[in-house]
Amino acid sequence: MFDITQLLDEIKASPYEEIVVAAPHTGVVTFADVREGSRVIGPSGTWKEKKGTLLATIERERNQKPIHAVEKGEVKEVLRHLEGTFVEAGTPLVRLRHFLSKDEVLAIILKKALHLFVAPERAKYYFAPDVDKKVKASGASSVSLHEGMDLFIMSRMKREASLAYSGPSGVIYAVYFQHNENVDAGQPLIGVCPPDQLSLIEDVVARVQTEWEERE
Amino acid sequence: MQTKDHKVLVANRGEIAIRIVQACRKLGLAFTCVYTAEDAASGHVRIARELGGDKSLYRVSSYHDANELMAVADDAGATAVHPGYGFFAEDYRFARRVSQRDRKLIFIGPSWRVIRELGDKINTKRLARSLGVPTVPGSDRPIYDEMEAEKVAQSLFEFQEQQGIRKPLVLVKASAGGGGMGIEEVYDIDLFRSVYRRIRNYALRQFKDEGVLIEQRIRDFNHLEVQVVSDRSGRNPVHFGTRNCSIQSTGLQKRIEIAPGFDPSSIEYGFDAAQVLRDITQHSLAMARKVGYDNVGTWEWIVTRDGRPFLMEVNTRIQVENGVSATIARVRGQKGVDIIAEQIRIGLGEPLGYGQEDITFEGVGIEYRLIAEDPDNRFTPWVGRVDGFGWPERPWLAMHTHVPSDDPYDIPTEFDPNLALAIIWGKDLAEARERGVEFLDTLVLEGANNAGEPLRSNVRFLRDNTGRILKF
Repeated sequence: MFDITQLLDEIKASPYEEIVVAAPHTGVVTFADVREGSRVIGPSGTWKEKKGTLLATIERERNQKPIHAVEKGEVKEVLRHLEGTFVEAGTPLVRLRHFLSKDEVLAIILKKALHLFVAPERAKYYFAPDVDKKVKASGASSVSLHEGMDLFIMSRMKREASLAYSGPSGVIYAVYFQHNENVDAGQPLIGVCPPDQLSLIEDVVARVQTEWEERE
Repeated sequence: MQTKDHKVLVANRGEIAIRIVQACRKLGLAFTCVYTAEDAASGHVRIARELGGDKSLYRVSSYHDANELMAVADDAGATAVHPGYGFFAEDYRFARRVSQRDRKLIFIGPSWRVIRELGDKINTKRLARSLGVPTVPGSDRPIYDEMEAEKVAQSLFEFQEQQGIRKPLVLVKASAGGGGMGIEEVYDIDLFRSVYRRIRNYALRQFKDEGVLIEQRIRDFNHLEVQVVSDRSGRNPVHFGTRNCSIQSTGLQKRIEIAPGFDPSSIEYGFDAAQVLRDITQHSLAMARKVGYDNVGTWEWIVTRDGRPFLMEVNTRIQVENGVSATIARVRGQKGVDIIAEQIRIGLGEPLGYGQEDITFEGVGIEYRLIAEDPDNRFTPWVGRVDGFGWPERPWLAMHTHVPSDDPYDIPTEFDPNLALAIIWGKDLAEARERGVEFLDTLVLEGANNAGEPLRSNVRFLRDNTGRILKF
């Protein structure tokens, strides 16, 4: 398989990621009280119901939309010259330096450990109705996969086609696509864990949990 | 405020956005375009950068977000909104919001009351019947209840059996859909329920609206349209003739449109074609007068083989194929009619300035919709990169496209793979057909996808079907 120790060391050597917080839509920007170098936190709580640090608000049609930090980290840059101006959608507002969390490290490692079923085309993907029911009722890990089963609906230009699973039998261990968002060709849709590897994967999870120290 | 002092927000994308920009320039109006991240390479973005003045291009999060459009309109100082077709073009709530908000804008389209009245299919049919205009039978509104849907389907089957139709069928379509998407045919009431559920689930996923329409499908018909134009007074509607849009994909999307709707001078029909054209234009104008129609619109008709017309619906917007009517129309004998420019001019409040007696028609126009798709495989859209696109300039040819001919272009997967509209004029049907074939034979259209497979297009399909245009 792969060398988890080496992989962990590689990640430890560069444990940062730059996150650009951009305007989700047009509007007039007002920055919150954040400065270069200050610490921010991401959403927290069991269901991520508590919002992260407020970075800015953007006002459009008399509605104010708060923009929160999506991850914890350090503020690298605030594009303060945009204060009070009307910005277009997608304009960068704040850059954050984010230290990878346990879950993220785990996700990176799992992407190497699991069998990945990738998107054949750039399209939007939905679980097929039967699978979707199961996912909603008891989570993706309750779905056991086998070669040839109808797994996805692939939607391009509002035309839909069904997509069958191919790969080893197993359960869905990770889901990588978002509802109603495009996935590029070659990007993973799900990570599948064959039953005989389940214990191995659990070991990997345990190892990351103990070894990775989350920094503030 | 004078017409030339207005600034128009072009709330659309691609080919129609370009045509609206060109019409604005013809009228000396300033404009503002919007685009999304997916569309950064589209021609309408380029033309806005090249020709636009101050504050003429904004990136937005979505074309479907009214707040986004209003915010841009305010920042850019726009005074009017042109919705194009699709998106907000037939949304009366949007038209009403635009014209009633604190900083009011002119909606370049019919007034919201007219859109609401004719957008509601029950209302349209009731209005039509009150004027003695025949309509297509079917569910008059979206259906959300399975039992009710079955009842309507059952009654449609019975109706067709009474009419002596040998192989009756009903159409099940997503109410919020359009352009031929989310439509299936059912030949057997026992299969109805599964088709109904499939379409309902499709509609829910794609449009977040479960409403489904159940209609009778009249086989063996021609699809005709009447182009109506009327100024804000709503009292003097005129027509810019008829179009025939019968050549469609299997998904019932139009592929070739011809003006006029029939050509009795060169083709023999099993009915009085000239009379049918007169009837549908008169019916359409009568309805327009009745509702006080106050911008451009299209009355869509189906004509059966025995020459009976039925009103299908009214499209309260500019249509893709407006240019094919313009190409054969003359106002006081003058060429160069531009129905989009007329729409903007009268939308901003100018009187039309001429009457039906000033409008004449000359020759035959053909519009080809060039699309990256595979006609042999149920018109499946093709996605990839266009890297060769060109055609010889001709005095009788107008090309409308957002695809650059000097740069490669990746077709976005968000929208239908429409590449261009080609409008061809000929002094009669024979000449128009000949020129159409010449155009298609000299067109260069090449590309490849990720897997290295060559571009698929409908050029062959268009060429094969040119021979049968206007025949019925």
